[in-house]
Amino acid sequence: MRKINLILALMIGLIATVNLQAQDDLSAERKQAIDSLALEKVRDLSKYISIIGSKSTPWSEANRVIDRAEELFMLDAEIGVSSLARPEIDYYKVRQYFERLMRLNYDRVEIDWFKIEYVSDLQRQPDGTYVGVITIFQKFKAYDKEGGLVYEDTTKKDITIYVKRKETQIGGRIIGFWDVLLGDMRVKETSK
Amino acid sequence: MQIHHIVRFCKQKCVFTGLLFLVLFGQLSAQNRSVGQVDVDETALYAMTKQMSQFFSRFNNEEDQFGKKRFPSDADYRNQETRKERLPLLFDQENPRTTGTLRDFFIEDLTTSDKSFLKFTGGRWFAEVSASFMHKGKEVQIILILMIEKENLGSKWVLSNVYYPAFNKMFPAGELIDREKHFLHPMSHELDFMNIYKAFQTPEVIEYYASKAFKADYLTLFFYEVKQGNLRFKSVDNLKFHIFQIDNWYFEVRWFNRSGNNTGWLISNLMYAPENEKDNLLMFYQP
Repeated sequence: MRKINLILALMIGLIATVNLQAQDDLSAERKQAIDSLALEKVRDLSKYISIIGSKSTPWSEANRVIDRAEELFMLDAEIGVSSLARPEIDYYKVRQYFERLMRLNYDRVEIDWFKIEYVSDLQRQPDGTYVGVITIFQKFKAYDKEGGLVYEDTTKKDITIYVKRKETQIGGRIIGFWDVLLGDMRVKETSK
Repeated sequence: MQIHHIVRFCKQKCVFTGLLFLVLFGQLSAQNRSVGQVDVDETALYAMTKQMSQFFSRFNNEEDQFGKKRFPSDADYRNQETRKERLPLLFDQENPRTTGTLRDFFIEDLTTSDKSFLKFTGGRWFAEVSASFMHKGKEVQIILILMIEKENLGSKWVLSNVYYPAFNKMFPAGELIDREKHFLHPMSHELDFMNIYKAFQTPEVIEYYASKAFKADYLTLFFYEVKQGNLRFKSVDNLKFHIFQIDNWYFEVRWFNRSGNNTGWLISNLMYAPENEKDNLLMFYQP
């Protein structure tokens, strides 16, 4: 409930009326509000990844969470994965990536997130959409039937965020607001 | 270099070592915390320069040591004193080329000028992408050079040059004596250029028949080969950045994936490059 309130507050903070052109340039305060909104989405993603990866999550529940996770991303977003042993980048569609995570062949996995999050400056692309990157770190551990640790890694996840000015009509008035969507994600194993 | 300069730099180095210790092991070591079942030390992750965006922010001293952005209205924004202490953290500390006196001179230059800040859309910085391609069935490595270009409401990365040895071999500089053997005499027009066939008898040096102003455009060659289906992209293998934005200096930044507190995007090469010599260097990146 507290989180919903926070998101609502952020959305209201971002909503502004009239003169859309003049508001296309982001003030430092608005950038901070957008950063917070983007971080909320990334934290949701982290939470969904933990649920999807957990062996105690029922199949139907994991599928429902994959739907939620997929909604965070733009339609054509891709996930590029590499490791220390295999530096070539493997590309996955968002759904395909989550389904692979759900099907990992271990008896138990632990997915933990480091507290650290880094948000880049937002840059504008030619069509006016703002684009940034949020970096987060994940610790993954997998165990066999006997409880022995069989695999572990720490990965750096660089997630593209797109911030777009949108508008909607409420009570006959045009209301402009900033919408945040996740784009391509690069997953790279860090040094052990 | 004068002796008192050396002494001053050595003193600064000692002060820096102390500060480095404080920054990394004093303030940042407080980042020990428990994530789930695991006790995790996040110091290295805080110290890591995680994005090029962070490299720019740290270089300009526009964020604190935890990555929190500073605004122009903040007292510490671009503060030259703290900038001087933190800049050494942005160098590969395992490389003598980026840890010596040259680095100290560079930092001294940076922190005594108001114009020594990096700007994302400020031009004169390039990405070098080493990529694998299939060329007529054989795997080859090609270097792509990209730069930021402003367009409409924002900016984008664009290809500015390409380096593929096979292309360069096609246009060897050639000996002057050889070049002088290949030309069309100035009265050829009176004979309806009946002698022009000779130019095409030696295709390996066809460019000798071009104006002395001719310069091979490798990017056009590259696009042609891609369009013909002869070159097919396979993968990105490596990435580094070349930065010429700072007056009289050039430096290279690349990714260091290793353990410890000196990781991420770091300066891997540094050169004093007077402005009047930079044009020659820049020709490779933006012909």
